[in-house]
Amino acid sequence: MYVELSDADIARRIVDGDREAEAELCRRMGPRIRLYGLRHLRSPSASDDLVQRVLLQVLESLRGARLRDPEKLVNFVLGTCRMIVLDLRRSAHRQEELLARFGDLLVPESAPVPALDDQQLARCVQTLKERERSVVVMTFYDDQTAAETARFLGISEANVRVIRHRAIRQLRGCMGATL
Amino acid sequence: MDYWLGALPAADEDSVEQHLMVCDECGDRLRDIIALADSLRMLARSGSLQVIISDQLLERATATGLRIRAYAVRRNESIQCTVAADDDLLVARLAVDVSAASRIDLSWCDSGGVERQRMADIPVRADAGSVLCQQSITWAKASPTSTMTARLLAVDEHGGEQLLGEYTFHHTRTIPGPAGW
Repeated sequence: MYVELSDADIARRIVDGDREAEAELCRRMGPRIRLYGLRHLRSPSASDDLVQRVLLQVLESLRGARLRDPEKLVNFVLGTCRMIVLDLRRSAHRQEELLARFGDLLVPESAPVPALDDQQLARCVQTLKERERSVVVMTFYDDQTAAETARFLGISEANVRVIRHRAIRQLRGCMGATL
Repeated sequence: MDYWLGALPAADEDSVEQHLMVCDECGDRLRDIIALADSLRMLARSGSLQVIISDQLLERATATGLRIRAYAVRRNESIQCTVAADDDLLVARLAVDVSAASRIDLSWCDSGGVERQRMADIPVRADAGSVLCQQSITWAKASPTSTMTARLLAVDEHGGEQLLGEYTFHHTRTIPGPAGW
């Protein structure tokens, strides 16, 4: 029943004190917040911490009826993510304090990141054209920007992005059903 | 992938993040991309790929404490080389003037001069002065004592080839293993 409710309806029920709605919010938003964390924090454990802190703050705001428009729940969650990521970057020790305080509360089940066949991927990478392979290696070795790669290759950043897109598309095709 | 790499303009990144907060299907797709990116990172850092790399990448690898075995070879020079068990990366710097060439191929030949592998249209700037080729460390550690020659070739639009430089590597095996392939 709760699965079918809209985000706004979930928010309204939480304001009314419905604990099942709180659990549904955590199940629904936890994995999405974790993805945001992976993108911005580049760390699974830091992303898990982010999930806890965002959910805690969102639930406290909803319980206190501080979200005026329930239709804006997603915006509120995203805004909270952004603020807490900034905060996490500023003060890592404060994060540890909060974790110690709230322990394992509000930990949603996270969708796992799928595992790939690394040997197959290596074979696929070797089938790329030389230029594509160099771009892939330089991009992923340590998140080199398109600008840095472009300087090495003596081409434009736009061209680097085109080469990278083509290579990724080929790799996804080569990896077949596993991607 | 551009979102994951942080390569989107701010407005586009905002739109993607708004969408990911309501679409689990796209979230699953992003997880696939993260898995691919993570595996590519490990592969790129493993030293097991044969690939043309930049000086910058080599500097970063050095800065992270990797053990790099690098051979700088002049044009038409022969060198003795090996690889140790605790080496992480194997790199050959081939000195060459490529300023007049539009396409460069790197051909790997055995001791009889027979081409065993060709890296076609390698990425190299006209003003580079050298080609930095990472050889697979996995392959090198398993390789028996042997001689290989790298040939840098300028290839024109009709497929005609001009030898720019030849570099011979006399590899001595120092890691225990079979005498031949």
